[in-house]
Amino acid sequence: MRISYEWLKSMVDVPDDPRELVAEFTRTGTEVEAVEKVGANLEHVVTAQVVSKKPHPDSDHMWLCQVSVGDKNVDADGNPVPLQIVCGAQNFNEGDHIVTAMIDAVLPGDFKIKKSKLRGVESCGMNCSARELGLGSDHEGIMILPEDAPVGMDFTDYLGMSDTVIDCEITPNRPDCLSMTGIATEVSAMLDVDTHIELPHVTEESGPSASDLVDVTIDDPELCSRYTARVVRGVKIGPSPEWLARRVAAAGGRSINNVVDVTNYVMYLTGQPLHAFDLGKLTERDGKRHIVVRAAADGEKLVTLDGQERTLTSDMCLITDDGRTPIALAGVMGGLDSEITDQTTDVLLESANFSSGHTSRTSRNLDLMSEASIRYERKVDGTNCANVAEIAAALFAECCGAEVCPGIVDVYPGEKDDEPVRIDFRPYRARSLAGAPITNSFITSRLERLGCSVQKNDVEHYVVTAPTNRPDLTREVDLIEEVVRLWGEGDIEPTIPAAKNHAGGLTPEQRRVRRIGATLRACGLSETSTYCFAAPEDLSALGIPETGRGVPVKIIRPLVAEQSEMRRDMLPGLLRSVAYNLDHGVPNVALYEIGRVFFGHENRSQPDEPSYVCGVMAGRRADDAWNQRFDEYDFYDAKGVVEALLSALRLAKVRFKVADPETYPWLQPGRAAEVMAGGQVLGWVGNVHPRGLRAMGIDVPVVAFELSQAALLRLAADELPYVDVPTFPGVTHDLAIVVDESVTCETLLQRIGSAGGKLLADVRLFDVYRDDERVGKGKKSMAFSLTYRAADRTLTSEEVEKAHERLVNKVCKSTGGEVRS
Amino acid sequence: MSMSDDLKSIEAQVAEGLAAAQSTEALEALRVSVLGKKGSLTQIMRSMGKLAPEERPVMGQLANTVRGNVEAALKARREELGQELMERKMAADACDVTLPGRRLTLGTQHLISQIREEVEDIFCGLGYTVEDGPYVETTWYNFTALNAPEDHPSRSAKDTFYVVDNAPEGKEVHVQGESDVLLRTQTSGVQVHVMERQKPPIYMICPGTVFRPDTADANHLPQFTQVEGLVVDEGITFGDFKGTMDYFLREIFGKDRATRYRPHFFPFTEPSCEVDVSCSVCGGKGCRFCKGTGWLEIMGAGMVDPNVFEYCGIDPEKYTGFAFGMGIERIACLRYDLPDLRMLMTGDMRFLSQF
Repeated sequence: MRISYEWLKSMVDVPDDPRELVAEFTRTGTEVEAVEKVGANLEHVVTAQVVSKKPHPDSDHMWLCQVSVGDKNVDADGNPVPLQIVCGAQNFNEGDHIVTAMIDAVLPGDFKIKKSKLRGVESCGMNCSARELGLGSDHEGIMILPEDAPVGMDFTDYLGMSDTVIDCEITPNRPDCLSMTGIATEVSAMLDVDTHIELPHVTEESGPSASDLVDVTIDDPELCSRYTARVVRGVKIGPSPEWLARRVAAAGGRSINNVVDVTNYVMYLTGQPLHAFDLGKLTERDGKRHIVVRAAADGEKLVTLDGQERTLTSDMCLITDDGRTPIALAGVMGGLDSEITDQTTDVLLESANFSSGHTSRTSRNLDLMSEASIRYERKVDGTNCANVAEIAAALFAECCGAEVCPGIVDVYPGEKDDEPVRIDFRPYRARSLAGAPITNSFITSRLERLGCSVQKNDVEHYVVTAPTNRPDLTREVDLIEEVVRLWGEGDIEPTIPAAKNHAGGLTPEQRRVRRIGATLRACGLSETSTYCFAAPEDLSALGIPETGRGVPVKIIRPLVAEQSEMRRDMLPGLLRSVAYNLDHGVPNVALYEIGRVFFGHENRSQPDEPSYVCGVMAGRRADDAWNQRFDEYDFYDAKGVVEALLSALRLAKVRFKVADPETYPWLQPGRAAEVMAGGQVLGWVGNVHPRGLRAMGIDVPVVAFELSQAALLRLAADELPYVDVPTFPGVTHDLAIVVDESVTCETLLQRIGSAGGKLLADVRLFDVYRDDERVGKGKKSMAFSLTYRAADRTLTSEEVEKAHERLVNKVCKSTGGEVRS
Repeated sequence: MSMSDDLKSIEAQVAEGLAAAQSTEALEALRVSVLGKKGSLTQIMRSMGKLAPEERPVMGQLANTVRGNVEAALKARREELGQELMERKMAADACDVTLPGRRLTLGTQHLISQIREEVEDIFCGLGYTVEDGPYVETTWYNFTALNAPEDHPSRSAKDTFYVVDNAPEGKEVHVQGESDVLLRTQTSGVQVHVMERQKPPIYMICPGTVFRPDTADANHLPQFTQVEGLVVDEGITFGDFKGTMDYFLREIFGKDRATRYRPHFFPFTEPSCEVDVSCSVCGGKGCRFCKGTGWLEIMGAGMVDPNVFEYCGIDPEKYTGFAFGMGIERIACLRYDLPDLRMLMTGDMRFLSQF
C-alpha cells in the first residue's frame, strides 16, 4: 500500500517529518518497505510562458518558440532571457502558460533533456505534455496552465506536488489498511490524534432514477453478498484533473481517463473496489439493463481488460449482461467489451461485495492478481458499498461533468452477516497475556481511536463493538493484539518462564543419532545435505529395484523435472555430490548424510518416511604426504567405517554376508556385503556397480554404505557389561594356515573360536598372503596371532602348547588347511 | 706394603680408571678388576682373616669404606656415561619440527546441522524437548489446525509443493495444482502433533527440513531448514516469550546483540511479531548489510492463537503459550555472509571442510 503523505495529511494530524511516522508504523506493526520522495525528480522542470511562436523555417508542423522561464535562465548580467525551443505541439498560442523541461531535466521514463538541433534549428528544452510529466495519459498536446500561473517557478513547487510516499506491506488480516481512510484511522490510534476525513457527497441528481434504468439479480448470495449500482449520464471522457491524476499516481495507479481514475481513486480512498461499465454497451430489455451475478459455467470464456482470453470454471463468479454474456470476472477484473472508451457517455457503477474465498481461488487459478482481487481476498466492508458508490458518483459529477441519476440499486442478501461483531473483553486478560501494566484508560481510548465502541459493564468486563471494516476483530484476543501492539511490544519486560513438573533434553534415540554422526566424522567422512527430491529415473539409472520402496510420492507442480518426486533412496543424491566434486577438480570425496526416504502407499495419503545413514567414498583419504601414503578407497575402507559405527553403537552379533547380486544389483558383485546384526539386516556396504557410476558420469570407483537408522537405533546399546581387565599375562602364538580361496575369513575365525576353548582370549588376523609357487594356486595363507590366557592364573607353557596344538589340529581338519611352515 | 697402603692405592687406581673409562664396557671391566671375584679389593677383603685380631676391626672398617667409595664412584660415573649417551642419541634424533605431522583426517559436520545442534542445546538447557514429524504432511496439520484460513494465499501452489494424494477418499479440491497432501512448508505441524498427544506444560522445539517452491538461486532453496518452538503452560506471557528470545538470540549471535520486536501478523499466533537482532556489521548504526536499518530480521513469533489450542484440545482460558520460527539458513547467512545458498546442497568438499 503506497501512502501519499500529502493525502494522509489532509485526513489526520501527522508529524511534519515522515520519518517519525515511519518509526511509529514499524513500532505498531505496519512494515514500511520504502519511503520515496515524489516530485523531487522533476528538477529543471519549470512553469513558463510562450513569448513568441513562429513556424519552423524547415518544417510544416513544427514551431520555433521563445519561451520565458523567468529568472531560471539569465544572461551574464543576470537578466532573464527566454529559451529558444522547437515544439511540435499544435494546441498553444503566444502568451500561453506552459510547463517547460530545461536542459538537464530528467522526465519519467529516464528521458533526459539535452540541447539538440531539430531540422537545423537549436532547441534548448522541451514543452511538456501531461503524460511526459507522469501526470496522466493526455498526450494530445502540451499542458496549458491557467493564466495566473507564475512564470519561472519549479513545477513541483507550483503544483505543491513534492510529496513523500510511504510504501507499506499490509498483512493479510488488515484489509482496512488497503485504503487511505483505514490508514488514517490506524495513524490516529497509533499517535492518539484526531482524524478529519471529509468525503464528497452527491449534491444534485437529475434524470431517470437508477432503478428505472438497471436491475440487478444475484443468483447465489454465497458468491456475492451485496451488489449496488448507480448510474451517471453524460460523462465527458477526458484527462483527469491534475489533483486526481496525482493521487492515483502516488497510490501506484496509472492515470487512464477521468472515469476510470475516479473508480481507482475511490478504491484507494475507501478500500472498496469499483467497476465502471459502459451502460450503452449493455443489452436493453424492457427499457432496462439487467445485471445478473452468477457462477461461471465450466469452460465459459471471457476476454478480460488486459486483453487475455480466460477460460473459467464453475467456482468463479461472473457479472453478466442479462445472465448471458459475461462482462466482468467478479472481484478480479472487468471484461474488455464493456470497458469505458472515449465514446462512453453513460456509466453503470458497480460497488459490490464478492466472496473472499471464491475471489482468492479465482485469482490463484487464473494466476491473475489485481488491486480489486487483493482487496476482496482480504474481505471488503459490505456495509459500505452504497456509501462508496455515492462518493464515486459525486466525483463523476465533479471530474467528468456527469449528471447523477437519482437513487441506487442495492441488492443485499448478505446484510445479516455484515452486522457489527460484539466482543466480550476483559482488560485484565490483556495485561496477563502481555505481562505488562496496560491501563484500562489506554485500552479504552485506543480501541475507540480504532473505531470500536466500548461499553463498560464493570471495571474488568467490557463489550466492544468492532468496526465493520475490521474483519480481523472477532474475538477477545484480536482486541488484545490491538492493545498490545499499540502499547508497544518493545516496552514489555522480558522474563524467562520456569515450568513446574517438566523436564527437557534429548531422548536416548536423539543422542544415538548424534553419536552416529560423530563416529562417521571421526572416520573422516564429512556430513552433507542433499535434496529430498528425486528424478523418476534415479533408481533405474543405478539399477536399484523398486521392490520394497513403495510407490513414488509425486509432486503435482515440480520446479524442475529432476525434482518431480520424493527420493526413495539416498544413494543417487550422494553420488551426484561425488560427481559434483570430481567435476570441480576435487578427487578425494568422503561424505555422509542422515536423511529420510519416502515410500508411498497405493491407497494412503502419506508415505512412510524411514531415515537412512548413507556414506560414499571416492579417491583417497588424503593426498600423499612426506610421511604418509594413502591408498585409493576400497571396499575395506567403507567396511571399516561401518564396523567402527556398529562398534560405537555397541551392536552385538555383527555379520557381513556376501550380498546377493539379485537383491543388490546396484553393487559390484563380489565387492558387496549385506550388513547384519543380531540376525537382522541393517543395510549394505560395497562398491557401487561401475554401470551405475557411468550413468552418473563418475569414472572412478566409489565405495558406499547405506544403513537403516531405525535398525541401528533399535539394536544399539548405550552400555555393555563390564569385563575384568586381565590380571594374568597371556601367551601369544602365531598361526599361518594355508587354505583354499573358498574358505572365508569368517569361517576360519569361527573354527578357531570354537577350537580354542576357554583359554583362547584373542584372535587377530595380521596377514593374508597369496603366491602361486610358495602357497599354491587357488590357495591363500592366513596368519593369525592367537593369545591364550586364563583369568585366574598364569598359564604354564605346557598348558598353552597343548591348547595350541589341539586348536591347530582341529582347525586344519575342519577347513582342509595346512600349517604353513 | 701394609694393607692400608694397598687399599689407598686401589682407591687411586679406581679414580684413575674412572677418568679413563669412556664407555660402559670399560667401566664394567674396571669394576670387575676391583670388585669382581678376583678383583683387587675382593682379594684384600678375603685376606682379612690373616690379620692380627686387633688389626681386623680397623682394617675391616677401612676396607668397607674404600669399597663404599669405589662403588659410589662407579655408580656416579655410570650415570654420567648414561647421561652422555642419551644426550648423544637425542642429538642424533633431532628433527625438523616444522615438517607436517601425521594427519588424522576428521570429517566435518554440515554447517546447517552444526547450527541446528547449537539451537537444540540452547533450548535443551532451558528445559525444552526436541520433536519432529512427517515431511509429507496433510493440509490439516500444515495449515488448517494452525488457523490458516481455507483460502489463505499461503496455501497456493505458488507457495506450497502439493503432492498427489493416493487416498481413495481424497478430498475434492477447487484449485488446480493443489491437493490435501503437501511437503510441509513449516515445521509448525509438529507442534500440533505434540499438542494433540501431550498435555501441558509443553516446552519444545522442532527443527527440520521444510519445502517451498522457490527456484534455487543465491538467496533461495526449495528445501531448507527451520526451527520452530512452542511453549504452553499456565500464565505464559508475551514477556516470557521476549525473555526467552533475548536469551536465545544472545546465545546464538553474541552477548552484545540487541533485539527488536515488531508487531506482525501470522495466523498461528496472536499477538504476533517479527524479531530483529541488531546488525553485526554496523552494530545497529545502519549499513549495506542491514539495508540501512541497523536491524536484521530473524524470526516470526507470537502468542499461540486460542483457535489453535481449541483445534488441539487445550483450554485457552487455562493455558497460554508462545511459538516462534526461524530459518537456520538465515542464521548461517547472518553469521558467515554466505554469497550463495546453493553451496549448502552441492556437497562440495572444499565448502564443507571449512566448518
